[in-house]
Amino acid sequence: MRTAAKGLGVAGVLAFTLFPVYLMVVTALNAEANAGSRTLWPDEWTWENFAFVVTEGGFGRYLANSLGVALATVLAGALLALLAAVAVARFRFRFRTSVLVMVLIIQMVPVEALVIPLFIQARTLQMLDTLAGLVVVYLAFSLPFAIWTLRGFVAAVPVELEEAAYLDGASWGRMFRSVLLPLVAPGLVATSVFSFIVAWNEFIFALTFMSDEENYTVAVGLRRFFGQHATDWGAVMAASTLITIPVVVFFVIAQKRLTDGLVAGAVKG
Amino acid sequence: MTLAERTETGRGAAPPAARQRPRRRGAVTRPWLLLAPALLVMGGLLLYPLLRVLVLSLQDFGLRELVSGRTNWVGLDNYVELLTSPELWTTVLPNTVVFAAVAVALTVVFGTLVALLLARLSPVVRGVVTTAIMVAWAMPAVTGTYVWVFAFTPGDGVVVQALDALGLVDAATANPFAGRLSFYGVAALNVVHHGFPFVALTVLAGLLTIPRELTEAAIVDGASAWRRFWSVTFPMLRPVFAVVTVLSTIWDFKVFTQIYLMPGGDGVNRNVLTLGTWSYVESFAQNRFGLGAAIAVLLTALLLVVTVVYLRLLFREDEL
Repeated sequence: MRTAAKGLGVAGVLAFTLFPVYLMVVTALNAEANAGSRTLWPDEWTWENFAFVVTEGGFGRYLANSLGVALATVLAGALLALLAAVAVARFRFRFRTSVLVMVLIIQMVPVEALVIPLFIQARTLQMLDTLAGLVVVYLAFSLPFAIWTLRGFVAAVPVELEEAAYLDGASWGRMFRSVLLPLVAPGLVATSVFSFIVAWNEFIFALTFMSDEENYTVAVGLRRFFGQHATDWGAVMAASTLITIPVVVFFVIAQKRLTDGLVAGAVKG
Repeated sequence: MTLAERTETGRGAAPPAARQRPRRRGAVTRPWLLLAPALLVMGGLLLYPLLRVLVLSLQDFGLRELVSGRTNWVGLDNYVELLTSPELWTTVLPNTVVFAAVAVALTVVFGTLVALLLARLSPVVRGVVTTAIMVAWAMPAVTGTYVWVFAFTPGDGVVVQALDALGLVDAATANPFAGRLSFYGVAALNVVHHGFPFVALTVLAGLLTIPRELTEAAIVDGASAWRRFWSVTFPMLRPVFAVVTVLSTIWDFKVFTQIYLMPGGDGVNRNVLTLGTWSYVESFAQNRFGLGAAIAVLLTALLLVVTVVYLRLLFREDEL
């Protein structure tokens, strides 16, 4: 009885969580998706939709744009967040609590409030329609969460390890590189995954800032397949699959490595 | 400076961590040096624009102002227009607040139930389900929304057809995106699907830290599962529940993409506007940036109230 209930629960959760991904992939492979076929099991399978999206749809370009923007955001974000996290986790200074509360509160600022002034600002600075403009914005968005998360990882490293490094004659910089950095690496992986996803998935700024099709990111590029009267659902779902699958794979792998890293750290530490 | 004041400043500058190695120089400036780059980015791109939007909300800012760079102050006119608009009170505000409240409740309850289920599974099954949950989590809001729209398309969407087969709706006439309630039903499904994984995995991590002895003692005492949850699990995981509720509330209040990309959500169907989409539509479709900014300020103020209330309620300062 209990096992049956558990089994039912597992089946329900699996069905609910995987339904959208399943429907997306199946429709992308459905040869008749354009002809209005909506079904959970297509009669005819095809790769046509993917071929169309990448060649005529110009989606390769958007994928490259998104990848560039996301990687730049991740690299800059990891560096800035780590430095800030060390500051709030390792030092007791005036206004430390104020800084922490500000970082927490700033996360609640809605993008709708920021998109208006930043659009006007970017227009004045002629940063509209540039990928660099997007990187800067995404960096700001991903920082609060990254700092807040990394702070926990830095705080979890025993101060004694740092003291030992100092006793061995290490400078603060040397200690940072040889002791702190390797130990917070799993945390860096976690925040990097998050920053990557923020940048890769972001929609409203990419929609507002980018007018030249050359500069579209994937989230905005998708809209090209929505026609005035009819939508090419096969193409939409093929493109959606191309956007989703890398993120999902990346996310699952990183999450696993993250948990493994945490466990390993706990055992050794 | 008196001696007392000097010791006071000294204590402020050399707090516990630094006091252990008082001779190390730069203990005061180093944290600020480390913080500077991140604070600059966040200040320039989050705080300063927030001030700008406040200033903009006091102006009549349209295409002409955007091109010429002139400013046209109108005082509180935008706020008067906003707060006297019947649309705000009958449509937009209820949409935003009720939707957020329902979505948060569903997300937290469903996420907790899934976490409790996960905690009772064998490691292998748990691994499989966790991976599936992460797939839902990782699915971008944009593509997720398109898939739900596709599934609920009037007439031949797979979910509409399934509901028709069950006799719940008539596929020929049902349009889930036309009515306010059904529109937000689909949106809630989408938002819960995207949001519950965070709750489930965070609560699961918390559940695994509860010592087995506690649960076993409660079982020996004859406590039911319901009683065990409220007397053992919930009190122990209070901080965890606090965090997931705060974050879910903040996320669901300002949800934009999931509404904007649904049919009619981009301002075409004014019955389903939220504060977020209304602000965007006024600004970028109507070119009334001043009014859009005023709406954005209202949304931000609401979120600020929610955040502060929660913070006061749930965190003590020493937990930071």
